[in-house]
Amino acid sequence: MNRLYINQDYCKGCLICVDVCPKHAIGASDRLNSKGYILPDEIDMSECSGCMLCEMVCPDFAIAVETDEEAYRHGGET
Amino acid sequence: MKRHPMLKYLKEKGPAGPRMPTIMCPGCGAGQVLNYTLHAVDDILREDGIKKEEVVFISGVGCSSRLTSHYLEFDSGWTIHGRALPIATGALLANPSLKIIVFTGDGDAMAIGGNHFIHTCRRNLNVTILCINNGLYGMTGGQVAPTTPAGIATTTTPYGNIEEAFDICKMAETAGASYVARWTTAHPRQTIKSIKQGVRKRGSAVIEILSQCPVHKKASAVDMLRELKATTVSIKKTSCQPKGKTPIGVFCDKNKPEWTEKYQEIITQHSSRENR
Ligand SMILES: Cc1ncc(C[n+]2csc(CCOP(=O)(O)OP(=O)(O)O)c2C)c(N)n1
Ligand code: SF4
Ligand code: SF4
Ligand code: SF4
Ligand SMILES: [Mg+2]
Repeated sequence: MNRLYINQDYCKGCLICVDVCPKHAIGASDRLNSKGYILPDEIDMSECSGCMLCEMVCPDFAIAVETDEEAYRHGGET
Repeated sequence: MKRHPMLKYLKEKGPAGPRMPTIMCPGCGAGQVLNYTLHAVDDILREDGIKKEEVVFISGVGCSSRLTSHYLEFDSGWTIHGRALPIATGALLANPSLKIIVFTGDGDAMAIGGNHFIHTCRRNLNVTILCINNGLYGMTGGQVAPTTPAGIATTTTPYGNIEEAFDICKMAETAGASYVARWTTAHPRQTIKSIKQGVRKRGSAVIEILSQCPVHKKASAVDMLRELKATTVSIKKTSCQPKGKTPIGVFCDKNKPEWTEKYQEIITQHSSRENR
C-alpha cells in the first residue's frame, strides 16, 4: 500500500492536499503540530492511485507519497 | 521516510539556521507556484540535458518575489521592486545561453514595473515571466493593484474598486511576447506544462497564474482555490463562453525573432566585414 509522509515542521495546515485528493485517501487529522496547525493524515491509502497531486499542490513541500514501487526500489517494506 | 521530491532544489538551511518553512502564510498560492515551477524545471533538466547552472531565477519585491530569496539551490537574484526584468535583461546580455525565469507579482509587473514589462515583451527577450496574480499588494497589506478586478474590496478600496483591471495576457500579447498563457493555482498540471513550454520558447514567455492570498481576502485557501476553478473557463470551450468568467489557456504561441539572436547577427555581420 502507498504510504503518506508529512513533514510536521513544514506543514502549515492549509489542507489543500486533502481537497485535491481525487480518491479521498487522505484527510484532516485531529493532531496539531507545534505551531498549532492541523496535520493531514492517511484515511484510506488502499484507495490511493499514486497520482502525486497532493505533492504537486503543497505550497510548503511538506507532503510526500511513497508508492509501493518506490518503497521496493529503496529496499523498504511494502 | 520519503521527503518531498522538490526539496532537492531548495536550501533548507543557511548560515543563520533553518530557512524552511518558507515565510509565506498558510495556503499562499506563491508556494504552489514555486512547487509547479520546480516540477517543470526538474522535467526540463532531465529531458533537455540542460545543466542546473544554466537556469537562473530573478525576482523583484513582493510576497511572490520572495520565492527567489534564500530558498533556491539555483543562481538567483532577489532584486528591486518592479525591476526584475531589467536585471534579467542584463544577465541575458552577459550570457545569452541562460534560461532565465522571473517570478513577479501583479503589482511588481503591472504597477511599478509596467514599463519594463511592456518593453521586455516588445523586444521579445528570451525570458520566462511567471506573474503570480493575487489581485492585490500582498506584502504591504492587501492594497488595491492595477490588476484588482472592478468592484472588489481591498484595504484601500473598502467600498469596492472603481477602476477596471489590466488584462496582463492581452498586454503581453499586444506588446509582442512569443508565448502568452493564463492558468490558476487550481490548475497544477496545466501550469507545469505551460511553464515547460515557456522555458523552451525562444523569446518572451508570459504565464499569468491567478493565485490566492487567503490572509488579505480573509478566506480559506481551499475555498479560494475552488473559486478560482469555478470562475475561470478554458478558451478551448469556444461554444460556451459564459459571461463573467475569466478565460484560461494558451493565448499565443508564435515563433518570431528573439532580441539576443538579432543582436548576435549584427555582431557577426559587422565583424566579418571588418576582417575582409
Ligand atoms: C520602490 C518601492 N516602492 C514600493 C515598495 C513597497 N512594496 C513592497 S511589495 C509591494 C507590492 C507587491 O505587490 P505584488 O507584486 O502584487 O506582490 P504580492 O505581495 O501581492 O505577491 C510594494 C508596493 C517597495 N518595496 N519599493
Ligand atoms: S498542502 Fe502541504 S502545508 Fe497544506 S496541509 Fe497539506 S501537507 Fe500541510
Ligand atoms: S497520490 Fe493522489 S490519490 Fe494518493 S493521496 Fe495523493 S492525491 Fe490522493
Ligand atoms: S500576505 Fe498573501 S500573498 Fe503574501 S504571503 Fe501571505 S497569503 Fe501570500
Ligand atoms: Mg499581488
